[in-house]
Amino acid sequence: MLHRSLRTQITTKVVALSAASAILLGVVLVTLIVAVMGQRDAAQVAFRSQQALGLANTLEKSLLSIESGLNRYVTTRESRYLGAVTSELAEYPPATRELARLVSDDAGQQARVAELSEAIRDYDEFWVKSLIEIVSEDGFEVARSQVETNGGRARLDRVRGQFETLFERERAVIRAREDAAERGSERAIGLGVGGLALTIAIALGFTLYLRRSVLRPVRTVAEATGRLAAGDLSTRVPADREDELGELARGFNSMADSLERGREQLEHSNAELTRSNAELEQFASVTSHDLQAPLTTISMYAELLERRRGEQAVGDVDLVDGIRGATQQARALIRDLLEYSRAGRGNLNVEDVPAGHIVNQALEALAGTIEESGAQVDVGELPVVRADRANLCRVFQNLIGNAVKFTGEDTPRVSIEAERDDDHWRFSVRDNGIGMKPDHARRIFEPFQRLHGEEDYPGTGIGLAICERIIDQLGGRIWVSSRPGEGSVFSFILPAASPACAEPPRVGAKA
Amino acid sequence: MGRVTPRILGLLAALALALVLAACGGSDDDAAAPPDRPDPATGPPIRIGAKNFTEQTILGELYRQALEAEGFEVVLKSDVGSTEIIHRALKRGALDMYPEYVGVLLSEVAEVRSRPRRPAASYEVAKRYEKRGGFTLLAQTPFSDSNALGVKPAFARRHGLRTIADLRRLKGTVKIGALAEFRTRYEGLVGLREVYGLRNLRVSSLDSDERYAALEQGDVEVASVFTTEGQLAGEDYVVLADPRGLFASGHVAPIISDRILRVHGTRLQTAIDAVSKMLTTSAMREMNAAVDLRKRRPADIAREFLKAKKLL
Repeated sequence: MLHRSLRTQITTKVVALSAASAILLGVVLVTLIVAVMGQRDAAQVAFRSQQALGLANTLEKSLLSIESGLNRYVTTRESRYLGAVTSELAEYPPATRELARLVSDDAGQQARVAELSEAIRDYDEFWVKSLIEIVSEDGFEVARSQVETNGGRARLDRVRGQFETLFERERAVIRAREDAAERGSERAIGLGVGGLALTIAIALGFTLYLRRSVLRPVRTVAEATGRLAAGDLSTRVPADREDELGELARGFNSMADSLERGREQLEHSNAELTRSNAELEQFASVTSHDLQAPLTTISMYAELLERRRGEQAVGDVDLVDGIRGATQQARALIRDLLEYSRAGRGNLNVEDVPAGHIVNQALEALAGTIEESGAQVDVGELPVVRADRANLCRVFQNLIGNAVKFTGEDTPRVSIEAERDDDHWRFSVRDNGIGMKPDHARRIFEPFQRLHGEEDYPGTGIGLAICERIIDQLGGRIWVSSRPGEGSVFSFILPAASPACAEPPRVGAKA
Repeated sequence: MGRVTPRILGLLAALALALVLAACGGSDDDAAAPPDRPDPATGPPIRIGAKNFTEQTILGELYRQALEAEGFEVVLKSDVGSTEIIHRALKRGALDMYPEYVGVLLSEVAEVRSRPRRPAASYEVAKRYEKRGGFTLLAQTPFSDSNALGVKPAFARRHGLRTIADLRRLKGTVKIGALAEFRTRYEGLVGLREVYGLRNLRVSSLDSDERYAALEQGDVEVASVFTTEGQLAGEDYVVLADPRGLFASGHVAPIISDRILRVHGTRLQTAIDAVSKMLTTSAMREMNAAVDLRKRRPADIAREFLKAKKLL
């Protein structure tokens, strides 16, 4: 495993290539630094050589001036020339030492400077001093004849020859060093450029490799993921590589396999559920419908029995009442159950419906109940919405009916309003009734769920379940916000009407 | 730190011990060493000078190579200058030794104008003179290189010239090609006037190697020559006789400082004398000719001569 990963893994290749580039760059950098240092050294040496040349030049000139000063002294017999000669000669030992220091890195030049120093010493010792002694001992005439022998001039010419050799050699040293430095720097620049080119080539190759071997497979997987997300669960990618991308591809394929299997199972379960649900509803519908007939019959027979027996058997009347009450209750339950199973089903006739008219219809249907409770119902301006007339009317009936039914001590007050919310309308039916705990807000929408006993507030507990079913079918949503004793607000949203009849005259109603 | 300190102390102790031992050993060596006879190679170098013409250069090389063969360290300063220059350098201590012509030494340095007739007597006078200055005149050479006047044979025939005195008969100015110092020397223009009464001479200052060429080209009528010069070996030039003895004998004797003789002892004197006594007139003239006429290098000529004489 380790062997395989070392051989094939992209990580290994990336690390190796990066390391190679870094080493190459390091080598290039070091080479350039060495070249720059070489250039600096060469510049320093060249500067010293120039200094040496300058100093030697000065020395040579001063030597000439010494000789001519000496000649002038002998010719003119003026001692001021002698003073200049001796003081200039005194400067030679330190000057030649300095010269030796400046050429100290070249043994040949050092030897030449040593010879030069000796030649200058000899000039001083054998010529200048002797000539001065001749002047003082034998007089200027003899000294002049000595000057005419050109002994000093000849000696000086030899010294100058030595200077010339020194100059030439120093210039040659400078040239040689400059050449060497130039060759070195050219070599370094060549190496640097070559190294950089190689580094760039490696980087380019690396980029191409990444594009071809990494980015393209990754893009393939990304596109496949997009197709998968769009629902094409049959999507697969090639997974024949041995590296990390191969692992990614194999992982993707097995994920797609498992998703496909999951969806097939889901579809299967869904079909099963739909089928069993339909059977159940059919069963409920048939059962509740069929149960009504015998219950009606029982109920009729109980009435007949009551009429026929009259006042004879007072005790029996209670019995019959019991039968009839239970029967009616069973009928109400069965009726509601039937209504719930039918709610929002069948052919919904969804159209632009003015909500105000529907509310008025609902209020008319509830007129008796409202009047009986003495409730005050306020209807605000209501819009046109997309809905089925009968079903929407049923929703309002149930909500207003509840608002009037679950009342406390105060006079019931109900207000119905609508507010625009984007492309929906939000309706609210607000009451000042008994309210409920917030954690009951969800439970009350379940079928036959009651918060109170039958004796306190009559009803089967199916109304709100029907409302939710209808609103759900119309593409909306219903909820309640309430607190005990503070009334309730039942809200639902419905799609706004099509733009053609966006804002028809609103219909208000007041009961 | 604690580990290093003992080591340093140890080193210091060793150093102190070494110093003590060296001090004791040093005093022992001083006592054992001969005060006046150090090993030749370890004594101060012998600075030999030579004057500014061919013969002197050859002489310088001869003494240098012979002494070096004996293990002495030698510094040779060739081409130092004329007698006036080189003798002063010797006296000043800039040189330890140089070969000088006894006659020139007497006339130009000792300023002895009335010189003994015999070369041996001249040598003794010169030796005494040098001794007073702290120098020793070593044994003189068999050869004598005197000053002389040379002319072309044709010129001599035309004017009937045999001696220096005959130059008086020449009409007009006579041009003498000579080294510059000739003009102020007794064995030069000064002596020619005083001894021979020659008033019609004019000195043309030339370098040593220009004199014969000037004579050949007719730039000068007479040349100041030295009798051992190679050019005189054949029949190309006539040397005028010096009947009044103006030009003294020109035997060469090395002048050496007593100080350096003391330092190096008799071995040095023996080595120098061994060279001097081999230098005959013919040998010297041959060597001069080899350098001046055949353009050989003085050092090579000297080496060949010393080898032939078994001095190398």
